[in-house]
Amino acid sequence: METIENLINNYYYFVAMVLFVIGFHTMLTHSNLIKKVIGMNIMDTSIFLFFVAIGYVHDGRAPIFLNGVEDHAYVHPLPSALILTGIVVAVSVTAYALSLIVKLYEHYGTVDADEIALIRSREDS
Amino acid sequence: MSNHIPVLIIVLVLGASFSIPLVARWRKTLIFPAAVTPLAISFGLSLYLFYLVGQQGAFSYHLGEWEPPWGIELYVDYLGAYMIMVLSSISLPVLVFASRDIHHDIREEVVSWYYTLYLLLIGSMMGIALTNDLFNLFVFVEISAIAACGIISIKEDRKCIEASFKYLILSALGSGCVLLAVAMIYMITGYLNFDYVAATMTEALSLYPYNILIALSLLIVGFGVKSALFPLHVWLPDAHSSAPSPSSAVLSGLVIKIYAVALVKMLFRVFPTAIYEVVPVLDIVLFLSVLAVVFGSIFAMVQDDIKRMLAYSSIAQIGYVFMGIGLFGDRALVGGLLHIFNHAMMKAMLFLAAGMIIYATGIRRIKDLKGIGVRMPLTMAAFTIGAFAMVGIPGTSGFISKWFLALGALDLGRPFYVAIILLSSLLNGIYYFPIVVNAFFGSKIEPHPEHKDVPASMLIPILLLAAGVIFFGFFPGPLLDLLEQAISF
Repeated sequence: METIENLINNYYYFVAMVLFVIGFHTMLTHSNLIKKVIGMNIMDTSIFLFFVAIGYVHDGRAPIFLNGVEDHAYVHPLPSALILTGIVVAVSVTAYALSLIVKLYEHYGTVDADEIALIRSREDS
Repeated sequence: MSNHIPVLIIVLVLGASFSIPLVARWRKTLIFPAAVTPLAISFGLSLYLFYLVGQQGAFSYHLGEWEPPWGIELYVDYLGAYMIMVLSSISLPVLVFASRDIHHDIREEVVSWYYTLYLLLIGSMMGIALTNDLFNLFVFVEISAIAACGIISIKEDRKCIEASFKYLILSALGSGCVLLAVAMIYMITGYLNFDYVAATMTEALSLYPYNILIALSLLIVGFGVKSALFPLHVWLPDAHSSAPSPSSAVLSGLVIKIYAVALVKMLFRVFPTAIYEVVPVLDIVLFLSVLAVVFGSIFAMVQDDIKRMLAYSSIAQIGYVFMGIGLFGDRALVGGLLHIFNHAMMKAMLFLAAGMIIYATGIRRIKDLKGIGVRMPLTMAAFTIGAFAMVGIPGTSGFISKWFLALGALDLGRPFYVAIILLSSLLNGIYYFPIVVNAFFGSKIEPHPEHKDVPASMLIPILLLAAGVIFFGFFPGPLLDLLEQAISF
């Protein structure tokens, strides 16, 4: 009972972990290269969600204090700031991966890893 | 001025990397000097860092004068200075080699971008070596991942594109694991600075043991993928064999090692050592390293492409580094860390020699290499020295690091690992010696009209590295002293 209660109270961690596993699975098992990239993004996003959730305070607001008065609880800004960097990194990796897929499509005429392997093994033999 | 040196090294290389496209627009001939100078300066500065650390002990640098835990901190100790030295001393000759070799592999318009990516890769690895901040570590890891894929896919051959895509996906997976581990650690300690995390970790261990265990395993998987620890090595053979030869040399020589160093820093400086007596993390690393050492060699034996064979051999050799970590003893760790430098020299040289053979004759298949020693005596002599060092013949640097690993294993009363080291050395001999023997005593290959002469700018780096392998085989003393101090975390 306690475990379930913990899960319900911290559902965002749970969701982040589920997303992480979905992304991980998609990335490793799908043969479609675009789906691999999507899986990578799901995985990255789940980590961002997890990271931001660490700093979240219920009913918290942005840490802006008017006239120097500390009158409300505030959300920890550092994880959000870090994740901005993380997002930039993820975007650049995605852009690079997609550009590689474009090149692969030019060479093989397909975006499926299995078909590419098939074409290559046919040419080798 | 002198107290800004740690950050200057990184900024110099990264800054040069971004200024090279501008230099290329202005004068094409200046690209090479613009790329070599920062690496040469950073090599000089790394020696100065040794002097500074020797004088005043390990010191830290606060970026923008923001005190930790708020700001990013660079931490210079013997290990960091040693890695900067390794990175700059190996990347320098490889770059000289690249200045000639790269033109026949990639299009003329992208040559300047090659230098950009190369320096970006070296600069980010220097960042990994010095940083003392978890998130900063992640950012440098990602920069080096993209740059490492970039110097493979710049050769727009479809094999390279495919290999670098595979590498990119798997290393993104590794970075994801590292970032999640950072989140786990940040969640329970509230700090990102290594020292602050380490200080709160002991308390956190009793409160939230699961977080720490998950973080630990994610770090081992994340850095394990990136440094091609045995079952996670699947991307390496394609990536390292299809890349242009200078890229293969840095990828095999430096890139896979730096993640092992990052793991060493995390395992021994951040996590409390008491945890390893309870959880068998290091035993798992040790087990995988044994598999790597044996199976890497066995896979290498059945390859018929010379660069692919060298790539599989790297998987075996990174196993030694991880064996040094996993044995968890002082002398073993010295052996493992020394092997980083030694293997970087040997493998960079072997890849350059292989690249030289491909450049001059176009031969890649091991079977066709018969008699190549008569045509290219100096290159093959260097290759022979490299092969001897890989096997661990006394008088080469490879012997010293294997010797220290074996001594370390005996210190801990685990002679089994000495047997493994011997077995793997024999296996190395089985696939390196036939190449050497055939090269010098095989039937002579016919001179071919397409065969090119060997340019001096490509030969000198190879001979320099070969001289290094012999030199550190006879005089390992200074490096060993230095590493013994480096591992007192």
